Amino acid sequence: MGGECLSLDILTIMTITPIFTGIILLLMPQILPKDVATNFEKVTRNISMGIALGILLIATMLFFGTIGSIDWTAIMQGDYVLKNDQFSLISSIGVQWKVGADALSFPMIWLTALLIPISMLVEWDAKRGHLFHPLLLIMEGALLGVFITLDLFMFYVFWELTLIPMFLLILVWGGDDRKYAAMKFFIYTFTASVFMLIGILIMYFHTTPIPGIGSMSGHHFDLVAMTGQTNLIPSEGLRHFVWILLLIGFATKMPSVPVHTWLPDAHVQAPTAGSMLLAGVMLKMGAYGFLRIAVTIFPESTVVFIPLLIFLGMASLVYGAWVCMGQTNLKRMVAYSSVSHMGLIFLGIATMQPLGIAGALFMMFAHGIISPLLFAVAGAFKHHYHTLEIGSMRGIAHHSPYLSGHMMLGWMASLGLPLMAGFVAEVAILIAFWIEFGWLVMLPALTLIITATYYLTSMQKTIFESDDPHQGKLPDSLHGEKPRDITWHENTGMFILGILTILFGIFPFIFWDMMSSWSTGFVSDVLIDAMHNKDKWNSSVKWLVEVLK
Amino acid sequence: MGQNKHEYPLLYPLIPLLLLVPLMKFIFGMDSFEAAFLIVVVPLLTFPTILIVGQIFNKNDTWKEKYKEGGIIAIGSLGISLSVTLWILIDYLSGTLHFSNLTVIEWFQWISFDFLQSDYTINPERRIIGVGIWIDSISLMILFVATFLCFLICWFSMGYMNTDPINEDRNHRFYAEFVLFSMGMFGMVLADSFLWLFIFWEIMGLCSYLLIGFYYWKVSAAYAAKKAFLTTRIGDVFLMVGLFILYDIYGSLSFEVIFEDPSTGVAGALVDSNQLFWALLLLFVGAVGKSAQFPLHVWLPDAMEGPTPVSALIHAATMVNAGLYLVARMVPFFDVHHHGLAGLENLAIIIAFIGGITAFMAASIAFVQNDIKKVLAYSTMSQLAYIFTGLGVALWFYNTDHHHAAAIAFGASMFHLFNHAMAKGMLFMASGSVIHEVHHAHDHLHDAGDGHDFDPQDMRNMGGLASKMPITATAMMFGSMSIIGVPLIGGFWSKEGIIAETWKAALEEEPLMFFPAILILATAGMTGFYMSRMWLMTFAGEPKSDVVNHVHESTPWIREPLLILTAITALGGFILALFGAIDFLSNNTDHLKMHGILETLEHAFLPEDLNTRLIGWITIVLSFIIGPILASRVHGGSLKDGEKAIQPIGFLVTLSGKFGTQDVEELSKSQLSEALQNRLYFDNMYEYVISKTIIPFASMLAWFDRTIIDGIIKQIESKSVLGSLQVRRVTTGSARDYILMAAVGMLSIFVLIWGVNA
Repeated sequence: MGGECLSLDILTIMTITPIFTGIILLLMPQILPKDVATNFEKVTRNISMGIALGILLIATMLFFGTIGSIDWTAIMQGDYVLKNDQFSLISSIGVQWKVGADALSFPMIWLTALLIPISMLVEWDAKRGHLFHPLLLIMEGALLGVFITLDLFMFYVFWELTLIPMFLLILVWGGDDRKYAAMKFFIYTFTASVFMLIGILIMYFHTTPIPGIGSMSGHHFDLVAMTGQTNLIPSEGLRHFVWILLLIGFATKMPSVPVHTWLPDAHVQAPTAGSMLLAGVMLKMGAYGFLRIAVTIFPESTVVFIPLLIFLGMASLVYGAWVCMGQTNLKRMVAYSSVSHMGLIFLGIATMQPLGIAGALFMMFAHGIISPLLFAVAGAFKHHYHTLEIGSMRGIAHHSPYLSGHMMLGWMASLGLPLMAGFVAEVAILIAFWIEFGWLVMLPALTLIITATYYLTSMQKTIFESDDPHQGKLPDSLHGEKPRDITWHENTGMFILGILTILFGIFPFIFWDMMSSWSTGFVSDVLIDAMHNKDKWNSSVKWLVEVLK
Repeated sequence: MGQNKHEYPLLYPLIPLLLLVPLMKFIFGMDSFEAAFLIVVVPLLTFPTILIVGQIFNKNDTWKEKYKEGGIIAIGSLGISLSVTLWILIDYLSGTLHFSNLTVIEWFQWISFDFLQSDYTINPERRIIGVGIWIDSISLMILFVATFLCFLICWFSMGYMNTDPINEDRNHRFYAEFVLFSMGMFGMVLADSFLWLFIFWEIMGLCSYLLIGFYYWKVSAAYAAKKAFLTTRIGDVFLMVGLFILYDIYGSLSFEVIFEDPSTGVAGALVDSNQLFWALLLLFVGAVGKSAQFPLHVWLPDAMEGPTPVSALIHAATMVNAGLYLVARMVPFFDVHHHGLAGLENLAIIIAFIGGITAFMAASIAFVQNDIKKVLAYSTMSQLAYIFTGLGVALWFYNTDHHHAAAIAFGASMFHLFNHAMAKGMLFMASGSVIHEVHHAHDHLHDAGDGHDFDPQDMRNMGGLASKMPITATAMMFGSMSIIGVPLIGGFWSKEGIIAETWKAALEEEPLMFFPAILILATAGMTGFYMSRMWLMTFAGEPKSDVVNHVHESTPWIREPLLILTAITALGGFILALFGAIDFLSNNTDHLKMHGILETLEHAFLPEDLNTRLIGWITIVLSFIIGPILASRVHGGSLKDGEKAIQPIGFLVTLSGKFGTQDVEELSKSQLSEALQNRLYFDNMYEYVISKTIIPFASMLAWFDRTIIDGIIKQIESKSVLGSLQVRRVTTGSARDYILMAAVGMLSIFVLIWGVNA
């Protein structure tokens, strides 16, 4: 008890509080008398912000070890320190409430806790704020749930739960084509996660029954127990099949080419806060789930399918970057750049080097800070200039110096400029990639030039270049309105993201150290034993790898 | 100059700040090396300070008058960097600090990680990428050049930038970016590993982007900025891959580990020279991009779109030297005398070839430029190519175990870097002074912006300025003489060495070296022509436009930096040559020894080796006599009657009129001239390739993504819809129904599972 007892519920509290508060705040206006309800809007957003900040504070304290203590490498070894009383939720099928955190999930938890208040801040004056901010709170709870739960059933529940607030955000606060985008977003990702569900169910039926678990057959969804069970699925063919099912679910979320097309539509139509969370945290759910479930439980299949991972990663990275170049819509371009960057995560995992995996983890984190900044900037363009067409305006830097400054910083961070967070991840992944696959690294490396090209071109054609230093070319969508700079709350939000980008670029060890030790443990405990499966690679693949080295 | 006197007291508060540095020694007992981090950290912190404070007090009068919109803060922080550098330099020269070539201070661990070996075991030793400082004689020299010139250029900027109304309320951005740029260079030179060298290298790339595009509303400036960033980025990406290979070989990127024994890699295995060749070649590609060598040279002339102090900064003090520094850092790999690796000669020859080609190409393009800054830009390119050639030769000698010749070639190259940086920094400032005053005179004559098309940088609008701008003309004369290599002045001492060593390599050892040797010898003569041409077109002859008659040298803050650099250019080369700079820079001797004046002169003009003597005199004749005389025949001429210029400029101007005149109208219409004016069509070619391949390909892929990949998804959707009318009826488009569906779906799964279990 004592410290243990206190720590035991922190993660649960972090997850449950926002969901319940969010639901209560949503219902309040219906319950309250009418004259009170009309003034409730401002109170709602203050309460929401307060809760979100509180959770950020808790998460930060967890990081410093002020409350509770997290063993950064524990979960995959079958034990974790930040544990709770596991209790059964649906005992008949063996669903438990079981949570934990390690270096894989904690940066994501902290990131979620950080991005929610910032996205609230950026959309501080959103229309229908009494619905908007509570929805973000529900979103926070669902996202945190995905990252903390160690029960696959609950994982799936939270996974799908995140769709609902996002769906509503796009549907209610989205752009002109929001209905189509919301539908597409929902159905697309839902369909993909059904594959994942099938995979999870197959795994479920292969678990060794635990007598006391409560379910009639003794099967369970306990991730830790599944990890501990050697050879969960004995048949190799079925194992690979399950791995592929899981990959479909996760790769769609990440998203990886060729199942990425929901992302640009969803992003373009989503409100700024929605885009920020979508790119910042929701995409990382895919990578997180892939590492946590697919790689951890089926390392042999992962090793066998490394060529596939490289192919998917390369396709996302290179193809995504090229498609970016062909975009004329600012937000679409940024969305495709997310596809491109997510490709690097697959490449990092495919190296099977502690360095590469740590790089992939850092990429998840760094992209989680940088891409919200990009979307905040794109959203500000939409908000203040009413258009996202690249080239419909010129010389905006004169009218909106702050917006242009943030744009410059975000764009530079995203194209991998040193001393910013993205560079650390890129370099780590690419070094590991060179060590494993030799000259193949030229492909991602040369893509960096493409990345720089589309970012610089988009900047040149929006904030720079005008015939007159004092005027610039304003977009038609402004209808002669006077152009404004961003508001104080947008500015503050972007400032925080920008400072964090630089902070983690200069001092990456703040999060890197735990990620690095986690990766080492992960490789030595989980992956090393599976490495001999590289023999199963197709002979032409083997030949290629030899030649490139 | 009344205004001038009025403004300098602004600098007085800086003096105690600069005195702080030596005080640290006594108060904190700090060593000069321990203070070295200040060189980087102070400017780094100044950057946000100026930016934020400047944004807040943008229109404030005190900010403009007292702080020069941030200029005073910038010069203060650069002053601290300079004084710490001087402190280290003094300690180094006086021998207080005994560090045989190297000193490392580890700051903090940047990242650390474990390593999976190829036999699938984790390497027990944790690998660390740290951050630290490394100083040796090369880095110290370049650091001094950078801090000193950045300081002077910042000083100059306060005259150049703050008196131009177009920059008003924007200067804080200029100074902030200026300081960040300087920080990038200082950091790169001090970095103790190739990784951090690369990091600061990229920071410089960013700053060049920001500063070249300072006038962001100008289409040409925005384009030039993008071009500079992307062209150097191409080189950087190759450099990055080179670093990966180096890392793979040595298991570390820190100089300390690699230079200890470059022939044995990680786990003590002998390094494969083929692999190392590729690593170093890729590193060199990065250097080619940054130092604007063929074929990645296209960004440099366009970079003139930035304000003139930026040109001085990029071309003299910082960015272009970065590539040279990187190549100079490769010596330990080549030096077979100390643990180097044999079998890298081919790379050395490639470096010398690239140098030779660029030198010749840039010099020939400079022949036909009429923009004063463009001439200087091409001359930068050409002079840097000299240094590359010299380094290539030095590396070749190192790799073939001619240690003495290698040391001379290397020292001469580094010395040329110093001489060129000083002269070029001054030339750019002087050209800035000319442009500034011509521009002011023009604005004085015609109201600013009356639509009259006038280019203050075009030398065809100048002429006869020698009597109007005596200081600038003198400065520019010494700068040009240094670049030409006039005996006894600046660049002579180093250029001679490079050419002689290249010929030595060609004649005695490697016939392939004849190619760069002949090219750089020809370039020496060409340099004499185009630099004289520039000076004569600007200062000699009769005025070519009425604007010239109204030019005065009156802007404050500009004179002093020019005078300081003139003195250094005129005398510095000789003095340093006396002190044996070449030996010092090549680490040939540990202590300075003073040579006798006669001995030094004899060494330069009458070396014992007959070949060297012959080459030396051919160079002198070509560059000092034939080139300038030809230029005088075309562009020379006395001033207008009644105008008098101070000596010795007056003498030079008069002399230039004595060689007769030659009409080059015919020649300037030839196809060759046309090609040169179009920069040999490199820009057009690159642009054509990009617009015909990359952009259409990207658009095609965007179409493909939208139509094919997304189309397939849509097809699946619509087909399944057709297949099931039941489902069609359910998709009502209302959110509530979908949530309901999700809930029902989830519930049915529960039931299903329950059923299976039961």
